[in-house]
Amino acid sequence: MKGRGAFDFGFFLTVMILLSFGLIMVFSASSADAFYRYNDSYFVIKRQLIWAVLGLFAMFFMASFNYKRLDKLAIPFLLLSIVLLAAVLVVGTEVKGAQRWLGFGGLTIQPSEVAKLAIIIFFSSRLSKKKDKIQKFFTGLMPYLMILGVIAALVIMEPHLSGTVVIILVSVILLFAAGARIFHFVILSLPAIAGLVYAVIIEPYRMRRIVSFLDPWQYKMNEGWQIIQSLYAIGSGGLFGLGLGRSRQKFLYIPEAHNDFIFSIICEELGFVGAATVIILFIILIWRGIKIALNAPDTFGSLLTTGIISLIAVQVIINIAVVTSSMPVTGMPLPFFSAGGSSLVFIMGGMGIILNVSRYSNCNRG
Amino acid sequence: MAAPNLMIKKRVLLLLVFFTLAAIGLMIRTGWWQIYEGERLQKEAIQQQTRDRIINSKRGTIFDRNGKPLAVSASVETVSAIPNEIRKAGNAEEVAAKLSQILNMDYEEIYQKITKNSAYEIVKRKIEKKEADEIRKLKFKGIHLDEDSKRYYPYGNFASHVIGATGFDNQGLFGIEAKYDKYLKGLPGRIVSAKDAIGTDMPYKYEKYINPEDGVNVVLTIDEVIQHFVEKHLETAAIENKVQNGAAAIVMDPKTGDILAMAVKPDFDLNNAFQIQNEETRKELEKLTGKEFTDRYGIELGKMWRNKAVVDSYEPGSTFKIITSAIALEENVVKPNDMFNDIGYVTVGGRRIKCWRSYNPHGIQTFIQGVQNSCNPVFIEVALRMGAEVFYRYVKAFGFMEKTGIDFDGETAGIFHKLKAFNELELATASFGQGFQVTPLQMVTAVSAVANGGKLLKPRLVKQFLDKDGNVIKNFEPEIVRQVISPETSATLRGILETVVSEGTGKNAYIKGYRVAGKTGTSEKLPRGNGKYIASFIGFAPADDPRVVVLVILDEPKGDVYYGGLIAAPVVGKILDDTLRYLEVEPKFTEEELATMEVNVPELRNMDVKQAQKALKDVNLKYKIEGTGNTIIDQTPKPTAKLQENSVVILYTEGAGPVSNVTVPDVLKRSVLDANKILTDSGLNIKIIGSGTAMKQEPAAGTIVSPGTVVEVEFRHTDVD
Repeated sequence: MKGRGAFDFGFFLTVMILLSFGLIMVFSASSADAFYRYNDSYFVIKRQLIWAVLGLFAMFFMASFNYKRLDKLAIPFLLLSIVLLAAVLVVGTEVKGAQRWLGFGGLTIQPSEVAKLAIIIFFSSRLSKKKDKIQKFFTGLMPYLMILGVIAALVIMEPHLSGTVVIILVSVILLFAAGARIFHFVILSLPAIAGLVYAVIIEPYRMRRIVSFLDPWQYKMNEGWQIIQSLYAIGSGGLFGLGLGRSRQKFLYIPEAHNDFIFSIICEELGFVGAATVIILFIILIWRGIKIALNAPDTFGSLLTTGIISLIAVQVIINIAVVTSSMPVTGMPLPFFSAGGSSLVFIMGGMGIILNVSRYSNCNRG
Repeated sequence: MAAPNLMIKKRVLLLLVFFTLAAIGLMIRTGWWQIYEGERLQKEAIQQQTRDRIINSKRGTIFDRNGKPLAVSASVETVSAIPNEIRKAGNAEEVAAKLSQILNMDYEEIYQKITKNSAYEIVKRKIEKKEADEIRKLKFKGIHLDEDSKRYYPYGNFASHVIGATGFDNQGLFGIEAKYDKYLKGLPGRIVSAKDAIGTDMPYKYEKYINPEDGVNVVLTIDEVIQHFVEKHLETAAIENKVQNGAAAIVMDPKTGDILAMAVKPDFDLNNAFQIQNEETRKELEKLTGKEFTDRYGIELGKMWRNKAVVDSYEPGSTFKIITSAIALEENVVKPNDMFNDIGYVTVGGRRIKCWRSYNPHGIQTFIQGVQNSCNPVFIEVALRMGAEVFYRYVKAFGFMEKTGIDFDGETAGIFHKLKAFNELELATASFGQGFQVTPLQMVTAVSAVANGGKLLKPRLVKQFLDKDGNVIKNFEPEIVRQVISPETSATLRGILETVVSEGTGKNAYIKGYRVAGKTGTSEKLPRGNGKYIASFIGFAPADDPRVVVLVILDEPKGDVYYGGLIAAPVVGKILDDTLRYLEVEPKFTEEELATMEVNVPELRNMDVKQAQKALKDVNLKYKIEGTGNTIIDQTPKPTAKLQENSVVILYTEGAGPVSNVTVPDVLKRSVLDANKILTDSGLNIKIIGSGTAMKQEPAAGTIVSPGTVVEVEFRHTDVD
């Protein structure tokens, strides 16, 4: 067991670049919408800056908070998240037909964000202790799946399909990384797929979204509208873009351009060069993160890092896939970029955890 | 705790590979949209992001040949609203109230428009500059003013069918306005500006201004003055003879093919081209609704706008004998003094074809007399001498089987027999203008060729294009289509046709001082026997050097008479008289004409008697003095009235007792000599119009007038066809 060292600077730098880049783009993308809605172009960016500051605090706090102590907090944290998820169904704030936010005074948080971290910490903790059992289906894998089932069920009841998908995918990735048998996943994927199909069937809007993704132009005036507007933005950017701040699609063509569709605005303003830069930054982040996981001093730190990095990776991949019309539309934020309030704090907190793990790294010592 | 085992490391590395591949895949996908599909997407995006506002170019002016404007465009403006901007400003009520006041429009109507759920609404088109300035001063958000133009036709009901009118968007709908729309309209400019998804302008500047290019000015061959003469005389004739199917007249310069005037009656005001003029039709239309209305309205508008002179064809009747004569003389099958014997009919192909005066056959006559008498058998005879093929060839050469190529939309080519079916019987009837149809324009063009030495010209309505500073952009030169007959034949025929007016059936086209040549025509419309006729006359003058060719057609006259020589010839005469004087063609009076010269009555009031006597003597007028004073108080007729020489002017001096008024006697059906005597004996003066038998007098018989009053009497020859 080695002592604490400096954290991985490459990872830290990537995080800071992404955060700054994200803030600039939130400002650019939100200015028009904020102006129309609140008559104040700075309305969104002001709030996002506050969240970013809080996020930095969270990161630095977690970076100096010994991750091993999270091991002991895993169960209480998981329970807390289950309580919050249950609470949001009862007393949550309803926005656009979904009850996803809990208000604490002036702050609102999404319990699903808490749940994402909680399940990563809990799975990492438990998997690092009972390494071999995971290969057994009933005694090893099943308990995880039951806990995952409870949380996923609570999230989907909000309803929050994309959140559910992320939680399931990240959990499965963790189980996979910890050594679960691939054969088991194949068996499990059958009911999972059935469940997804069912979820689509019970909510007709999901079906239309799927269909509209296949041919957005056919549904131009309704389901396809958003995705076409997104493609217009992406296409308008060309190789070098229209220039920072010069997006035209943000003028209400893309509703709330600073949220889920911010990547389209990046494409429009900065062109393929800008878009590729963003993707490459994420690849660097993932690569540095995975490197930290590989060099972690223990299995817990390794799985913890893998989980958090996967959380980022899954959201980035789904987000970009959605805005480029590569999969059906679902409301997935782009980490660091989408103006999502509390989620930035959780992401930054997660980054802090990884930085902390990197301080105990085996080979990252100069 | 132990470090992660190898399997975990392998699986984590696998994740890195998977995430990286997915990210690269998405990068490619993004690039595909941006670079491969970029152009298409960008085009569509710009289409939704920008608003094109058209700035109309100024439409060119249409001038007459002397530079008088016949159709002009004035700058006006169009008020439009962007409802979203008004909604944001939140002052729709105020805007509507102010606009309704300035534009004199209904408040509700404006309010509806400016609050409508649309991106762009036109509030009112074509408002005057003054109103526009008032609106501009208010600086309302969301109310825009765009330049536009409005067409004005200074002369209203004037050459309406030729000039044509424009529609709502200043596009030419018919006539020259339509034919040269491409040139007149110029190139519209555009303002391209960026808009957001709800239709308001984007806050930052993105505007492109493309200047409009003004349209070219078109100079017509029409002469405004001559057109006015034609309009006036044709209108009078159309009303007097109660024409049921319209009237048309064309004046052409036979040397160039220029159309100097072209009129169709009934006409309409170009400034109000969308209102049906016929009151009965208008009432019928008011009863209709929906599609029935629009269909019928469209048909009626089309009828009203139809330029009969170019579009409609008719059976030319005896006027066509000019062409038959031309062919016969050119082909040498007849000499002017060849003898013919008319027994009232000819038998061709077993069928008996009668002369129009078969009740009193013309008997033995020369070819010239045959033309003067318009004797059908003479023309049948010469046509049979030349044969169908020759006749057909010339009819074609004179341009009757094709469009003249005038620069006017909708021209037709008439209808003639097929050569294969053109047998002797058809030839016989064709020789006097029956059994086929020609357009008035074809007729004028062909007769112009006869008049100008044998050259068939392409008739034209447009002389040149000018730019806005008056520089010539393009000149349209006269075009000779072909030489049809020799100059000698042309000269011979001009002489013969002159005698038609001086001695034959065309006497009513006679005017003093000018040698008029021409030919009458009366044809019965199909089916024969329905009592519907077309009366026409085509003439030119001066006969030795023709300056103008004039055709007048009266379609279905419903008056007492329908003969072209009676009702169309005088109209041609009047048009020629006015036109030749206007063109300053030197009149040459015969002795006989000099004897009946007219003089202007001088101003005599306030003169003393001696002065007055001298003034009257100077102009060859006689006088009669009433009263015993020394100063002239009053006179009849009043100054500038025209009197024939040796007429009597009544002079009133102080102490003149009450003058006994005179009852105008009836002189109708009298000869010129008789009428003159009757009126003079009653102490009245006469103004003689035309020659022959009195057909009309003004004032009418029985009217009480003061002595010396001028009675206008129109004489006509009735021995005409």
